[in-house]
Amino acid sequence: MSVVLDAFSIVAIVAGLVFFLAGTVGLLRFPDAFTRLHALTKADNLGVALVVIGLLPQMDGVLAALKLVLVWLLTMLSSAAVSQLIARSVRRRECSE
Amino acid sequence: MSALPEGGPTRALLVRALLYFALWIVVDQSAKTANLVVGLLASATATWASLKLLPPASGRVRLGLLLLLLPRFLWQSLVAGTDVARRAFALRLRLQPGFVDYPVGLPRGSARNAFELIASLMPGSVPSGETKETIEFHCLDTRQPVVEQLAAEERAYARALQPGPRHG
Repeated sequence: MSVVLDAFSIVAIVAGLVFFLAGTVGLLRFPDAFTRLHALTKADNLGVALVVIGLLPQMDGVLAALKLVLVWLLTMLSSAAVSQLIARSVRRRECSE
Repeated sequence: MSALPEGGPTRALLVRALLYFALWIVVDQSAKTANLVVGLLASATATWASLKLLPPASGRVRLGLLLLLLPRFLWQSLVAGTDVARRAFALRLRLQPGFVDYPVGLPRGSARNAFELIASLMPGSVPSGETKETIEFHCLDTRQPVVEQLAAEERAYARALQPGPRHG
């Protein structure tokens, strides 16, 4: 059973890392601030999600697992909020120029 | 103080205080008295700050109903992440970025804020500005039916995000 869980963890975490890589590649390749925000928020969010899901079976206890999920939720909340704030301020600056 | 939702400010205060204390328990994970005292003080301060910064009258976000929409949200995040990853790894960039005005039904307030948070994790859209009746989204690919997708999302979340009795 634990072999199955370990395999699950490895697959999920590696998949998560692929999405982190995608986010970074997008950050480097995409043409402007807005498109780069898309790359960072959406790909990295999925990356964090997959790493957390992969780590869940390795945690001992429900509270420890909950803490991990909490970290995930806070990361998601902050990246969703910050991406909008950056997009709005870039947009305002573009419009006022 | 007349525009408060049913249950009044006391209920909102209690719910928030309980949520903050639950958060403390999850983060600290200790049953020692000293830790719990600090946790109580911290959650009281957090409750006070949240009532100052986000008064309970400005619309309602129903957490229970929102949780029911979790599978939909996770699926959309998966689609969004895969979409961006495919575009990032593609040999030739297939992007047609641009701005789209979405006529939003939700008035300004915490319900609309929550919708904007959710929408910014949806495939291909990040809110970049707003007026009273529209939200402006930046889209990775304006050839996609962005407005239709957003309208479907807003319909799906309509019951969980209820605008408050806010005027104007």
